[in-house]
Order: sequence, then C-alpha cells, then structure tokens
Amino acid sequence: MTLLRHLAVAVIVGVVIVILSVRLNAFRDYQIAEVACYVVAVAGLTVLVGLSGQLSIGNGAFMAIGAYAAALMTIHLGWPPEAVLVASAAIAALGGAVVGVAAARLHGPYLAGATLMLAVALPSIATKYSGVFGGDQGLSVSLTVPGFLGPSFPLTRWQAWLTCAAALITLVLLANLARSRVGRGWRAVRDDEVAAERSGLNVARLRILAFVVSAACAGLGGALLAVTTSIVSPGAFTLTLSIALLTGAVLGGLGSLAGAVWGSLVLVFVPTYITDVAASHGLSSSTGSNIPVAAYGVVLIVVMLVFPDGIQGALRRLFKPMTPDAGILRGAPRRRASASEHQEEGST
Amino acid sequence: MGQFGELTLGGISFGMIYAAIGLALVLIWRATRILNYAQGGMAMLTTYIALTVISHTGSYWAGFAVALAAGLVLGAVIERVVIRPVENKPPLNAVIVTIGLLIFLEGLAGIIYGGQFRSFPAAFSITGLRHGSLGISSNDVFVAGAVLAAALVLAVVFRYTSAGLRLRASAFNAQVARLLGVRVGRMLTLGWALAGLIGALAGVLVSPSTFLFPDSMDSIFVLGFTAAVIGGLDSPAGAVAGGLILGVVLNYVGGYLGADLVPLFGLAALTVVLMVRPSGLFAATRTRQV
Amino acid sequence: MSEPAAALAVEEIVAGYGGVLALQGVSISVRPATITAVLGANGAGKTTLLRTISGFVRPRGGRVMVDGRDLTGRRPEDMARGGVAHVPEGQGVIAELTVEENLRLGALWRRGRAVRADALAEAYQRFPVLAGARRRPAATLSGGERQMLVIGRALMSRPRVLLLDEPSLGLAPRIVTQVMRLTARLRDDAGLTVLLVEQNARSALGIADKGIVLNLGQVVAAADAAELAADVGLRKHYLGF
Repeated sequence: MTLLRHLAVAVIVGVVIVILSVRLNAFRDYQIAEVACYVVAVAGLTVLVGLSGQLSIGNGAFMAIGAYAAALMTIHLGWPPEAVLVASAAIAALGGAVVGVAAARLHGPYLAGATLMLAVALPSIATKYSGVFGGDQGLSVSLTVPGFLGPSFPLTRWQAWLTCAAALITLVLLANLARSRVGRGWRAVRDDEVAAERSGLNVARLRILAFVVSAACAGLGGALLAVTTSIVSPGAFTLTLSIALLTGAVLGGLGSLAGAVWGSLVLVFVPTYITDVAASHGLSSSTGSNIPVAAYGVVLIVVMLVFPDGIQGALRRLFKPMTPDAGILRGAPRRRASASEHQEEGST
Repeated sequence: MGQFGELTLGGISFGMIYAAIGLALVLIWRATRILNYAQGGMAMLTTYIALTVISHTGSYWAGFAVALAAGLVLGAVIERVVIRPVENKPPLNAVIVTIGLLIFLEGLAGIIYGGQFRSFPAAFSITGLRHGSLGISSNDVFVAGAVLAAALVLAVVFRYTSAGLRLRASAFNAQVARLLGVRVGRMLTLGWALAGLIGALAGVLVSPSTFLFPDSMDSIFVLGFTAAVIGGLDSPAGAVAGGLILGVVLNYVGGYLGADLVPLFGLAALTVVLMVRPSGLFAATRTRQV
Repeated sequence: MSEPAAALAVEEIVAGYGGVLALQGVSISVRPATITAVLGANGAGKTTLLRTISGFVRPRGGRVMVDGRDLTGRRPEDMARGGVAHVPEGQGVIAELTVEENLRLGALWRRGRAVRADALAEAYQRFPVLAGARRRPAATLSGGERQMLVIGRALMSRPRVLLLDEPSLGLAPRIVTQVMRLTARLRDDAGLTVLLVEQNARSALGIADKGIVLNLGQVVAAADAAELAADVGLRKHYLGF
C-alpha cells in the first residue's frame, strides 16, 4: 500500500515536471536538473544523519566518486547513461561500505572528524593522479539525447527528465526503506544505541548499511551532476560541497525526504540569487562569492537554534493534516545531562 | 646540526601549534562535551584583527595582545549566544552549529578582508622557519615557548585557583557543582573564553608560515583535532603530547618523503588513531543508568 | 499547617517529568533544628521532592520557602546560596577531585578567605577521617567515607536546611548506623535542620522528630516520628516493616 502511494505521488510529480520542463526555458530546465542532482544526494544524507543518527561531513567525497566513475565509464567504456548511473552509484556504495566499516564504532565528533578528513583528502587524489583523473582541469562528459525523442529535443530538457526520473526513483526507494524494518532499525539505533543492541538489533550492520545507502545516493547525485554540468573536476567537490549538502539536509528538515527537496531548492536558487543581488549592488566579486558562504553558516546556526526541524518541520506544524508526507517518522531527540540549563522538567 | 635535528626542532615548533589547538578543543570538550569545529575559524578571525591592529599601529605586540583579548571575548560571546542554546540538545545539533559557525566566520572574513593571501609578521627573526634550513630560528623558540607558557599557566590556573576548581567541577559533574552553588553557566563561558584565547595564540603564531586567508586555519584545525584525538579528548596533557608527536613526525615526512605527502600522512595518522582508539573511550559515556 | 518559624516550608508543590506528575500537591513544614523523615515506596516522589526543593525541577505549582523567603523556581546554584544544601542520591562525590577540593567546593561561593578557611577547619574537626585523607582523590574513599565527605561538603556552606537523599543506599548496616548517628548529632550539637529521604524507614524514624509518608505523589501521613513508628498498620502498608 505504501509503495503504491509513493509511486502515485512520484508519477504525479513526474508529470508536473514534464509539463514544467516543456514550458520553461533551457536555463530553467538546467536548474531543475541541478536541483534533482542535489535532491538525490541530500536525500541520502538526510537519511544517514536524520534517520540513523550518524553525522557525515564527507558525502561530497562520495559525490566525487560517483562523478568521476561516471565520467570514466562514459569516456572509456561508452556505456549508455542509465547503466553508467547505476554503476556509479554502486561504486560509490562500495566506498560507503568501506567508510562505514571503518567508522562503525565512531560516534559524534570522532565520526564527524573522520568524514571531514575524507572530504578534505579525497579530491587531492584527483590532482595527484592527474593522468587518470584529468588533474585540476578534470574530465569532460558528454550526454546525448536518445534517438526516439527526435532530433530537435533540447538537451537541457532531456537532462531535466533524466535527473528528475532518477531523483523520483531514489525518493520512492528511500521512502519505502524508511518505512521498512531497516528504517525502524535505524531510528532505534539513532535514539538509543545501547537499547537497540540489547533488543537484538545488529547495530554495526545497520550503521554500515546507512552509510552504503547514503553513499550510493551521493554517488548517483555526483554522476547526475557529471552528465548535467558536462564536466568533473576536483574544484567542484571540495569540503564546501559536503557542507552545502549538510546545510540542505538540515534546512529542509533532517530525516525528511520532502525536506531534501526544499533544501535542494534553496541550495540551487538562493546562492545565485544572493550573488546576483550582491553584484547588482556593486559589491566586488570576492565579497559576492563569500556572502553565500557566510549565509550557509548563518542558516545552519539559525535553523539549529530556532527551528531544528527545518522547513518540513515548520510546514508540518503549520498545515497539520495537509503536509506532504514523505513517510519518515522522526523520533524524539535524546536529552543529554544538563550542564548549564535550568531544567524545565528534570531528567531521569 | 644535521637535517634530522633541524627537522625535529622545526617539528616541535609546528607541533606546539597543533598542541595549542588540541588544548583548546580539549578544554571545550571536557567542559561541554562539544567539539568546537569553529576553533580554527575563531583563530583565523582574531589573527585578521591582529593584522589590522598591526598595520594601523605598526606594533606587533599590540596586535598580539589584541588578538589574545579578542580570542577571549569571541569565545565568551560565542558560548553565550550560539552554543548555550544547544548545550542540552542532542550532540548532533551542537556539531552542526559549530560547523555553521566555522563557515560563517570564513565567509565573514572573506567579505571583510577579501580572499587573498596575506602575510603576517613573525615576532622574531624567522630565518629558518621552513624545514631544510640551518639551525633553529628565534621565532621557533618563541612559538614553542609561548605555547608551553600558555599551557603551564592554564595548568596552574586549573589546579591552584578557585576559578580553576570551579571550572573542573563544572566539567566533571555539572549537576553536583550547581548544588554547591557554582554558577556553572559562567564557568562554561569562561572555558570557551580560555579556549578562544589559546586558539588566538595559535593563530598568530602559525600565520607567518601559512599566510593568512579565510581558510588558512582549516588544515591546522584538522591537525589540532588529530593531536587531541591522539592524546585522548579528555586529556590536556595528552593534547600537548599528541601535538608534539604529530608535529615532529609530519615534519620528518615532509623533510624526507616530500611535502605533498604530508596531508595524506595526516589523514592516515588520524585514521589509524581513530581505529586503534578503543571504543571504550566512548563506551564510558554511553553506559546506561538503569 | 505551616508555622511561621519553619526553616523550610513546601506548600502544595506540584511537579513532574514530561506528562507524569510525580508530586501532586505536597505540603511539608520543617522546624529548625529538627530532622524530618520523608518515607514511602519507590516512585512515591521522595527524590522528586528534594530535587524540586533544591531547584533541579521547576515546580508547576506551589511554593518553596526557606526561612520565610520565597525561593520558588530558583536555579540550583541560587538555592544553594539561599541556604539549601542538597546531598543527592548516590552521594555525588566528584571523584576526580581530591577530598579537600570537594570540601572547598562547598564553600567557594562564600565571601572571605577566613570564612572559608574556618569552614574547612571545622569540617576536618568534625570528620577526622577526612582530615587524614585530604589529598587523596575522592574516588579512593570507601562508601561510608564518601557519605561523610558529601555531608561535610554540604555543611561547608553553613546551610539553613540539609536535604539528605537516601544516605543509607549502598552502605553496610554498621555504616548506616554511623551516618544516622552523625546526622542526629548534627541536629543536637549544631542545631542543623534536616529533611531526610530514606527507603530504610526504620533507621530514619529512629533519629527523626517528625515523619512524612508519601505515596504516589501525595502526603498520606504526617506525624511525630514516634507515632508513625508505633502505627503498625501504616508501617506495614507503606513502609514495609
């Protein structure tokens, strides 16, 4: 039943996107495609952080893995894009398994620190082995419109369709996963790992699985980004990207798939808007390009302080019965022993 | 003095910087169980402030003093405004807030000061600041000495003063401390202020070598974090030891194997330490009270 | 029944955690230089009562008055400075600090080095065993010694009222007797006012002047300790002996 409902929603959204892509111009189609790429990656991250409670500030590295895999496969193997996308996701998933196993027993700052190192160190591999990876200039990826769509079908529209289809499929799969026993297991581990262990859950396996899933999503997002932007270079996958993904997930609402969509919309549209505004006010380009960075930071802080449930949480509160329910249940936050707060109602 | 000796001494100098950042991280971790990802960013900002003072007054020491004072203030303000609300929330919130703080500070610095690399003066003669040189420079001695002095002063404050007793009590058992009349909130602010101070010190000491730009403290932070992890996040002495070891070893790598291998080696070091550190470190804080 | 001379008065306290009300309108009055025992089964609300008085739990209704001053809703550190010393369940020794540091902590908020030094000297006089262990980490103390330490530490602030939460927990019977005797002596010699929460009702009633029995967050009995001890029906029903 849930699967049908998710599929129905996906189909409806898909139809809307098709209509939009035809009515909007090429640049807007490109932006739609961009959003879809981020949705895939942010959704994976929001599942990892929001559902399984593991913080990663390194998912940009998995995007890089997916992107470079896609580029290399397209260039050297000439596979069709569908196959490339799936294979890239799989390769990134493998990376996620490795990291997940290594990080299985890390928590909190140790985990975040380890993923931070990953985000910082991985792009440098592309520069070190520039023969294979194209160094700082990177590799270019070409995407061709399939024949059956006709010779005058715009590339950007095809990109929008391809990426959005991938995004919708991913969202449906994630939504089902979140409702399944695995999803419940993740939430149990997130809320109280010791209790989860005691009640028989294989905590390590669940945590690794969450990493694999989020890495696969990030890898798919990276591959999609590769075919959308037509280029992969180390400069596109810095720590800033990992933080941007986290910002999108937090802003949209951790653990919420609909939130991943809101967050991705913000990620794509707001920085260019801000930069445009800054440029139109005559601010220098370095100032203009730093404003989104400072804004990311403020967003993260303000959201965490004021409305930790993000956009989706705020929507849910405003429109209680009518919220688009992506099927993710959020558990109550754990309380730590109070260090400085006068407690409203004590702690057990 | 052979290359080994020079590398060792140069490594000690850098190591003390990592130790300082590590020390600041441990300070905050012990007091609030939060890892301050913005530690490097705070240090970067106070160093920019120092640079502004220096270029206006022509005096290095004025800038030095202002940087330290700014570190104190910045740490206190950050704790009070940004951190206090998330001290009792799930740890994830604090991590995201400090990361947000980090990129806000970096963006802010980019807006105010621009992204170009700036040179920052050293306190004393810097000839021989980089590895592969002849002998050790007076600045190296100053760096090591300053951090050591700061660490010692902190140790004395913690061990022998009433404020230090309150700080320790607040960190070890905040609830009991409050029952005894300790204003734990103020102690936390003080802890962050001290961490800001040490971070500011690290910033002005290392910036002559790394140049100053919004992201300049990122790698220093990561290595400082590694130092703290090596020593154990709960141990200030461990952070200092970890920093020294890391600084020296990385300098050997840079000197004997090539500078471009240093970041990868740092990554490997951190990975190894995180793997080897018994999960018992965190198991202690995660035992359930039945 | 509140008397103007009460050292501690709790009026119609309503308090709880989340959706559960642990205290539903509890009133207690404690005269100076007396020991009042708060008894009852587990979950009756005894510990919540103390935590409300000392400020860890903000009451949803009612008042907490110390020496006639309304201190309701103050934070723990302010309650402590207001004359309420709470020795929590499990003692609350700060294990990483030394014995002397633990003691000194209790008086740090008091002004004047001489005042603090006197308090420390007095603590060592009262508890010679602590004097012998002053430089040792508090973690190395035995159960009974720890109990001495936390009581001594609480006394360092010259409190108006001492809240003792389950001092007998985890202690051998012989030590329990020692602790109870000590508490009684503090009342007799130093005029200390004590609110004593105890599972071990028998030993508590042995030294108490008054007894209060809590059940499910309400006071079901309040009388002189001797009366309570003699009321076999009540004892059996609520106190288990």
